Amino acid sequence: MPGGGRDRRASCGPALSFVFMAKLLLVAPAVRGEEVVLLPEEFSLHGPASKQRLLVERVRDGSYVGQVEDGIHVVSSDPHVVRVEKKEGGLVALPVGNGEAQLTVKVGGKTATAAVIVSNHQDSVSWTFRNHVVSVMAKTGCNSGACHGAVAGKNGFRLSLRGYDPHGDFNALTRHASSRRVIPSDPGRSLLLLKPTGALPHKGGVRFSPDSLDYRVVSEWIAAGMPPPRDEDPRIERLEIIPAHVVLDPGARQQLLVRAHFSDGHLEDVTHWAKYTATNTSVAEVDDQGQLSITGHGEGAVSAWYLSHIVVATLTVPYPLDLSQETFTRAERRNFIDQLVLEKLESLNLPPSPQATDSEFLRRAFMDTIGVLPTVEETRSFLLERKADKRDRLIESLLERPEFVDYWTYKWSDLLLVRGRLGPEAMWAYANWIRDAVSANTPWDEMVRSLVTATGSTFENGAANFFDLHDDPYDMAETTSVAFLGMSINCARCHNHPMEKWTNNQYYGFVNLFARVRAKVDSTGNRIVFNATSGDVIQPLTGRPQAPRPLDAEPLDIHAPEDRRLYLATWLTSPENPYFARSITNRVWANFLGVGLVEKVDDLRRTNPSSNEKLLTAAARFLIEQDFNLKALMRAILQSKTYQASSRPLPGNLEDRRFYSRFYPRRLMAEVLLDAISRVTGAPSEFPGYPPSWRALQIPDPAVASYFLESFGRPKREITCACERSAEPSMAQVLHLTNGDTINKKVAAKGNHIERLLATKASDEKIIEELYLRALCRYPKPPEKKKLLEILSETRKSASGETSSGEERRLATEDLYWSVLTSKEFLFNH
Amino acid sequence: MIELTGEGSTRTCDGMTRRDFLQVGTLGAIGLTLSQMEALKAAGAVDKDKSERSVIMIFNLGAPSQLDTFDMKPDAPLEIRGPFKPIQTTTPGIQISDMLPLHAKHADKFSLVRSCYHTAAAVHDTGHQMMQTGRLFAGGLNTPHAGCATAYLRGRRTDLPAHIVLPEPMGRTGGLLPHGQDAGFLGKAYDPLNLNADPSKPEFKVPDLLPPAEIGEARLERRRKLRGVVEETVDRFEASESAKLVDSNFQSAFRLMTSPEARAAFDLSKEPKKVRERYGMNRFGQCCLLARRLVEAGVRFVTVNTFITVFDEITWDIHGSLPFTSIEGMREIVAPMYDQAYSALIEDLVDRGMLDDTLVANLAEFGRTPKVNPAGGRDHWPQCWTIYFAGGGVQGGRVVGRSDEIAAYPVERPVEPAEVVATIYKSLGLDLETTLPGPQGRPFPLVDYGVHEIRELF
Repeated sequence: MPGGGRDRRASCGPALSFVFMAKLLLVAPAVRGEEVVLLPEEFSLHGPASKQRLLVERVRDGSYVGQVEDGIHVVSSDPHVVRVEKKEGGLVALPVGNGEAQLTVKVGGKTATAAVIVSNHQDSVSWTFRNHVVSVMAKTGCNSGACHGAVAGKNGFRLSLRGYDPHGDFNALTRHASSRRVIPSDPGRSLLLLKPTGALPHKGGVRFSPDSLDYRVVSEWIAAGMPPPRDEDPRIERLEIIPAHVVLDPGARQQLLVRAHFSDGHLEDVTHWAKYTATNTSVAEVDDQGQLSITGHGEGAVSAWYLSHIVVATLTVPYPLDLSQETFTRAERRNFIDQLVLEKLESLNLPPSPQATDSEFLRRAFMDTIGVLPTVEETRSFLLERKADKRDRLIESLLERPEFVDYWTYKWSDLLLVRGRLGPEAMWAYANWIRDAVSANTPWDEMVRSLVTATGSTFENGAANFFDLHDDPYDMAETTSVAFLGMSINCARCHNHPMEKWTNNQYYGFVNLFARVRAKVDSTGNRIVFNATSGDVIQPLTGRPQAPRPLDAEPLDIHAPEDRRLYLATWLTSPENPYFARSITNRVWANFLGVGLVEKVDDLRRTNPSSNEKLLTAAARFLIEQDFNLKALMRAILQSKTYQASSRPLPGNLEDRRFYSRFYPRRLMAEVLLDAISRVTGAPSEFPGYPPSWRALQIPDPAVASYFLESFGRPKREITCACERSAEPSMAQVLHLTNGDTINKKVAAKGNHIERLLATKASDEKIIEELYLRALCRYPKPPEKKKLLEILSETRKSASGETSSGEERRLATEDLYWSVLTSKEFLFNH
Repeated sequence: MIELTGEGSTRTCDGMTRRDFLQVGTLGAIGLTLSQMEALKAAGAVDKDKSERSVIMIFNLGAPSQLDTFDMKPDAPLEIRGPFKPIQTTTPGIQISDMLPLHAKHADKFSLVRSCYHTAAAVHDTGHQMMQTGRLFAGGLNTPHAGCATAYLRGRRTDLPAHIVLPEPMGRTGGLLPHGQDAGFLGKAYDPLNLNADPSKPEFKVPDLLPPAEIGEARLERRRKLRGVVEETVDRFEASESAKLVDSNFQSAFRLMTSPEARAAFDLSKEPKKVRERYGMNRFGQCCLLARRLVEAGVRFVTVNTFITVFDEITWDIHGSLPFTSIEGMREIVAPMYDQAYSALIEDLVDRGMLDDTLVANLAEFGRTPKVNPAGGRDHWPQCWTIYFAGGGVQGGRVVGRSDEIAAYPVERPVEPAEVVATIYKSLGLDLETTLPGPQGRPFPLVDYGVHEIRELF
């Protein structure tokens, strides 16, 4: 124990210091090329009860890579200012007297320092209700939804959920129940202390012990005469987590520190009172004191909640592969997307798959950009083409095709809930309004501004249907938030959002922006949306209307007569609004790559971080620079080597599902799949009430009867949520493909492509080639062709039976088509 | 005691991975072939009866009012006790609502748990998750439905899938959360087969169960061969969960299609008219009948959703105002239908000697507010409600737990959702200490440490 024995006596000297005995003979070895730091590197201790937990953290290549727990030697430059103790399983700095000092830590031959300022040490300890007592209630779970924070409270004692209403909680604690919950003359006999310590029976069990900090806070607050929450209390302004990002190995442990910054400038170490949640427990778990343990490879995040503020720490656990540096330096880069994807892959040690073949790219780009298969002629000529820029030219042509308009009109119709229940005139007005915008490539911000501020006839101004669909201000506000910000604010309707920064007040401010949107119906059933000049939504907590306010923007004058939505639209679509561009960027990205940078795309919570934050930020900034021209973003994605990567996994990236080391195969969306089956068989689907030649992607009403579309996950468009659409394969789908009347009817249909092909007296070989090009956009491989021909000739002998050979050939060809149409290579985009 | 460890799966001739996990001793899960399982049974190492048991889970979506069904409070004020009167059942000391007279005749066969509660948000969806999977979803971890965990641990018994949901999976109930009616982290391969049809309809058939008549054996065989060639050339799907799922679905589908026994199990026309009418010629009644047929044919777990959604359907969700249900709607429509079908199912299982081997678990996501609301209905109340069990080793005629004088909180033997799911596993003879393969292969306990079945029921 080199550290322990040598310095034991010295540590008792005037320069007060502290030494840990290493648990084992091993002292944490400082790896070469590594440094250590003492965290936080600067901090202040405000008041006599303050303290700060310390971390000794290893640093490599600018990243925190793990905590040193043993063999640490700490010295205070001025023990009259600050001292360090081992407490709560770690190092804790405690104030001794006002002044400035420096802490120096020595570990394994390395040194690190932290600067400390101690102030207000002469003050008496004063715990505030707003910041401290409420924190005890939150951390120990008293005001959780399962206990007294429930809407109905628990056993007659009700607190606000996680303490969002300090005044109400103060009354509940000090005034309700005949004030018997607190006894100022003898705090220890207060129910508020007897129950949670288990001295009196408590259904919620023992929450804290009499020797805990929590007990001390509550008892001293009672003894101090129970000061209520005051206007002059310092307010929390922001929360900080240390380290905010860390790179660790499986099995590693890491303590997180959480600091609160208050409005009067003072800092508090709230590691003890923060509540921790791990977002991806297959990578990391966290305990209730902020101690991380690593469980797997990939990326994870931990959010810490304190006094309705949230902060997130992310962590990277690289895959244990032996890759050469060249794996990443040699990989091709077309644009910023590739640069940032490769940066992420390198940090995780995930090798990128090579590029896709031309036929893979062709089929993929068609399906993702315009939702249809290329024709045989288009496929042949693209595969023959030798010019280096042929993929770029294909991308340009796809972005200008009429089917592009169908596909993206359909996508936005999902988002904006175009549906038959609006009535035919309104539905068509709405669908055509979207179609015109897509056709003109209207910038996204402009399109959303028109939607959000729409007034007038729902028959004439299609955009007005957006409000007609959501006919109360709550629904309007919640839908606007999900559709254009990718965020659900619903939780904040009843209490501060537990997983976001949105408060109950912000919710009602936001809802009040929509309070004056009204609709009246004329005799033809036409609904006219207009803006009334009065009317407010009441915030139930205060019983008064909340000033209209777009979430975190400045509030609007509540008496101003103008349409509040104009103000909302300006805030919503502003380049400065961080959520707006990110949300649409993520939606477009998910269309092409299958997995959103934030997953799910409707869940851009702070506590649900992106799998590649730099990329999402850069892509959103790119879209803003391109004035919200969605085609420019699509072009950048389509051109990237990331999008053009093969879907064939490498041994090293088989496990990757989030970081785009390869293209992830995914089942085609229901409508695209049905249209593709129709195209290959040459037998269109019929939709009751629509012209016979119309494709599924051209039908505006999601209620049009189609068992195929329903079982393959077509959304009902009842709520704005990408979760309405399901891409998951099921047995019902397989049974339908196999036995159902979609493929079976189409291959047997009169005048279909099979019939036309057989009429040309095409050979089996020719038929196979044609089918492969039509359905799979590639030529059959020679062994494949050989085996198929063998089966066809064999079974023709045995299966022919009494049918004439012409008829039998037709049936055999139908079976061949069925086999390709039910194969994964056909069902999937890959 | 035998202790065995080893690889947890065996491949059957059709390429399906079948996991027949048995609990032997305390060491954990092992997989054995069927013949090994028979040998173990012969040696007495496996409780033969329990491993052959099945479950019919009747999920009362919408959530019945405990005060108006099984936990009457006749001495409470009118605004608490509501409009119904208690009636005596066949079991002395047990009274239930006069809305359920046919239940009253079978109180010797079922046992009530009057102290179920949960502590999550009072939306339907959370209760669905907890009551069917034993846990609330968190941290991106969707835990499997008890039927899917059973499918994983026991595998299918015949050509029929191990777990079938009737008539279709739960739909919208307002919370926009998953309902826990699938395999969650076990993967889609262990999802239930969803019937997706109404068996009370005259033209009822399982959608797409059979190929069109014109496609005979020879063509089916040719199709399978051709498809095999198309499939084998492509190697890029090995890392795609979704693609693997297509494969396993194809295998299961072919098996189901080609089994006459499996097809017959779905054929309700094989039942005498009298039997069908005894269950009630409505969706729920015929689903209960179909559940019995499926269990008879070897299905291990059938989940029957009494209702699909709480919107625009007359259900247990008696808020008193539209689009939900009124107390009258419950009295006139829901209760008679439910009472008839349940009593028919229990009688039928008894008559066929199946009740001892079939656990019938009647669950709901929460109870309802003790006080009748201004609309004359009752709202969501997860703090206390009643569930009940019959068969599968459960002793009838018991009451577990007690609620307070207004059925607002449990005062004796509070029961959590995790214990309900543990009770189901226990009835099936599964070891509660078994683990499932969690995300990234981490072992994930079937139920959390320290959670036990409701012992008082057995």
